[in-house]
Amino acid sequence: MKNKLIELKDLTKNFDDQQVLRGINLDIYENEFLTLLGPSGCGKTTTLRIIAGFDEPSSGQVLFNGIEISKVPPYKREINTVFQKYALFPYLNVADNIAFGLNLKKMDKSVIAQKVSRMLKMVGLEGFEKRDVTLLSGGQQQRVAIARALVNEPKVLLLDEPLGALDAKIRKQMQTELKKIQREVGITFIYVTHDQEEALSMSDAVVVMNNGEIQQIGSPTDIYNEPENRFVADFIGESNIIEGHMIKDFLVEFDGYTFECVDKGFPENEEIEVVLRPEDLDIVEPDKAQITGVVKNVTFKGVHYEIIVETESRTYMVHTTDYAEVGRKVGLSFGPEDIHVMWKMGAY
Amino acid sequence: MKKKSFFTRFYVVICLAFFYLPILVTMIFSFNSSKSLTNFTGFSLRWYEELLNNVEVYKAVYVSLSIAILATVISTVLGTITAIGLSRSRKVVRELLLNVNNFPILNPEIVTAIGLMLLFSSIGMRKGYTTMLLAHIAFCTPYVITSVYPKVRSLDPNLANAAMDLGATPYQALTKVILPMIKEGVFAGALLAFTMSFDDFVISYFVSGNGVKNISIVVYNMTKRINPTINALSTIVIVVIILVLLAANIVPHLRKKSLNRNHRRNTVIAVVLVAALCTLMIRMGITANGKHVLKVYNAGEYMDLSLLEQFEEEYNCTVVYETFESNEMMYTKLAAGETYDVLIPSDYMIERLIKEDYLQYLDWDLIPNKKNLMEDVVNKRYDPGNRYSCPYFWGTVGILYDTTVVDPEDLDDGWELLRNPKYNGDLYMYDSERDSFMIALKALGYSMNTTDFDEIDAAYEWLIEQRDTMAPIYAGDDVIDNMISGNKALAVVYSGDASYIISENEDLDYLTPSQGTNVWYDAMVITRDCSETDLAHAFINFMISEESALSNTAEVGYTPTVSSAFEEMKESDYAGISSYVPQIENPKNEIFGYQEPKVKQRYAELWTKVKAQ
Repeated sequence: MKNKLIELKDLTKNFDDQQVLRGINLDIYENEFLTLLGPSGCGKTTTLRIIAGFDEPSSGQVLFNGIEISKVPPYKREINTVFQKYALFPYLNVADNIAFGLNLKKMDKSVIAQKVSRMLKMVGLEGFEKRDVTLLSGGQQQRVAIARALVNEPKVLLLDEPLGALDAKIRKQMQTELKKIQREVGITFIYVTHDQEEALSMSDAVVVMNNGEIQQIGSPTDIYNEPENRFVADFIGESNIIEGHMIKDFLVEFDGYTFECVDKGFPENEEIEVVLRPEDLDIVEPDKAQITGVVKNVTFKGVHYEIIVETESRTYMVHTTDYAEVGRKVGLSFGPEDIHVMWKMGAY
Repeated sequence: MKKKSFFTRFYVVICLAFFYLPILVTMIFSFNSSKSLTNFTGFSLRWYEELLNNVEVYKAVYVSLSIAILATVISTVLGTITAIGLSRSRKVVRELLLNVNNFPILNPEIVTAIGLMLLFSSIGMRKGYTTMLLAHIAFCTPYVITSVYPKVRSLDPNLANAAMDLGATPYQALTKVILPMIKEGVFAGALLAFTMSFDDFVISYFVSGNGVKNISIVVYNMTKRINPTINALSTIVIVVIILVLLAANIVPHLRKKSLNRNHRRNTVIAVVLVAALCTLMIRMGITANGKHVLKVYNAGEYMDLSLLEQFEEEYNCTVVYETFESNEMMYTKLAAGETYDVLIPSDYMIERLIKEDYLQYLDWDLIPNKKNLMEDVVNKRYDPGNRYSCPYFWGTVGILYDTTVVDPEDLDDGWELLRNPKYNGDLYMYDSERDSFMIALKALGYSMNTTDFDEIDAAYEWLIEQRDTMAPIYAGDDVIDNMISGNKALAVVYSGDASYIISENEDLDYLTPSQGTNVWYDAMVITRDCSETDLAHAFINFMISEESALSNTAEVGYTPTVSSAFEEMKESDYAGISSYVPQIENPKNEIFGYQEPKVKQRYAELWTKVKAQ
């Protein structure tokens, strides 16, 4: 097991009368790509700012290598940040921006020049030393910002929605590159985003947050396949969420039918919620499935069709490559392993 | 298209002319060889020379410059820090403070001035260099905030965080990141502060004291008499401001061109220079030398200033000499708690000061030169027995007329000469409510101190009728220059001014109207709070010595209260100038008395109507 680098213990934060963090507990490991994921206002950026040292927690602890640092100012932390809008210094050129931290440390000029050019090479901006940062494209500015942070050789790099301002194609490209850079420098990245696809494709670990609380921590596949509650299921990917009860281990009831499943460990007759991912559902002939309904709407999504089927109890969303015309009577088929049973959430 | 461009150009020319012609005229007349402000008689550097010999001007330039530099530096630092702080405050605090910050900018300057004056008085601060500097910092800072704040707001709030994230301390973040990015705003604020401070008059005038004067105050005091040194001084001030602006616009370009290699060393040099300058200035600003100090408050251009130096030498003391524009202004300062030792106000004001207990008895035993005083000037109704006051200058109000235009027979009409249609459009009235009502009341045969509203209303009718039939110009001190140039045939003037004007233009003569006039006395008094009573008495005694009185009247042109000086001048410099010898035998003559507030208010209302054409 890797070493714990940062531990957040019972962090809370209040701005005026508003509580934005309600007891965050989180361990962050060395060499890990960890993503804080959640809708805006969920507290993910605040958590990041507390780790960086820009905000102080109202209560709780931040441990770095086991040492409490919540009162240590940002300039004394071995942590660097890539900001949302890059926050480059517009009156300095590319090289001087990157060298900013090194100059403050009064490092030797030739050493600085060497480090700067190595960084530029890593982020793919060789020969850009004397360029004016304000004339660079968004993607290039982002690379400068990353180089400016990494040149200080921090133990942790914090990234606050760094790709938010880029267009879709460069975004994809930068995602791959970021992951590559992380592997190359071998340090911990803590990444903040509200984009679930970005989170799933880059991270070693994803922390889903909502309303100042952590909803679930896990690997991308765990988060997707085994959402712990309705919020996570709803926020990550698309879901059909159905209320039902657990009759006994491996047997669940919803919409008036009973189904075999792979879940166990719930009390008998416990009210639960079931997640059925749209891509796990198949359209079949009505007599081949328990649940039947009528096709209400079909949308072409590129790789697949999104088909809305109305049954007696609800509407289901199905993602399938098979076409079914509107008005047709169909059955919905799925296997035991496609059913994911969750504890029912309280007020949400 | 062409038409439009012509119009645009025309408009620009008009605007420029409107802005710059007055400045140009000032500059041209600073090179005039004669004293006139309207006739250019030839090129000379005479007024610049006079300026060079004027110690008061030197001191004022030093005060203006040093205050402007110090106030600029301090208010720029304060304002910039405040603006940065504000940008990070909570919205409520920020908006509240920004609005509060606008008050001093929107407030009429005079309100700020009086507020500051009262503040300094109430906390017992000695007025002078320090109070002026504090006031300048106070009124400059809001301008700096206003010019820096938008710059700070336009910054990405994460820039400072980014700097600290990269290892900068908060101070380094400020100097290495924030300041370079808002420097245009800071610079603009500093420039604004400098120009505001350098040419400020109103606030400086009220908060300064103890003889500390900036250029504006000195210029203001000079305007009482035409004195083209003002033009010379104004020209220099304009040139300084132009140079500052040019430097402000050119230096950044030059710096951009040269590589910023010596940037750091330059900064160090600049900081050291400013610091050295500051200490030097503060040092020079508070030179107290332990001598006895006498504070004298007199009307502007109303003393031979070399007498002050003589007195200082003779009595080994320092005289702090300040001047006022009107008796009312003097009263305002006094009422606000300003302290002086010797005042030289007019008769009716002395009456008021006695009534309100501002003065102390004179000890005539300490003034042996009282034997020099003429009999005509003592024991008058404003101070029977001269228990409080020692006469300084005196005279009458009368009509100055052009002998080449005015028919001698018309002179018998006295004040009615001012309503003689022959001279329609050819006269100046004096822009003073009390003097104008005096003329009308005397013309109608009433007392000029009447409290009878019917009589006052009748005088008002007289003035209205005169206004409508004669089209007079209600002039101030500019009448002096205009009459010397012979611009109009008639003018109401004080006898002392008349003597000076006649000595410059021999075509003119002075008439003391037969219906009686205002006989006035200005006198020296000692305040109740005076802490240097012996010195104050010595000063009064000194001023009525035969020698002092002589050089004083020679310089100022008003009629002295010392007989020997009067007799000598009457026979020499002012021989044949009728206004120099006040005609006071007429029993209809009077001295202004203290005005009850309701009477004063009535005067003010009616006078406003007279002047509203």
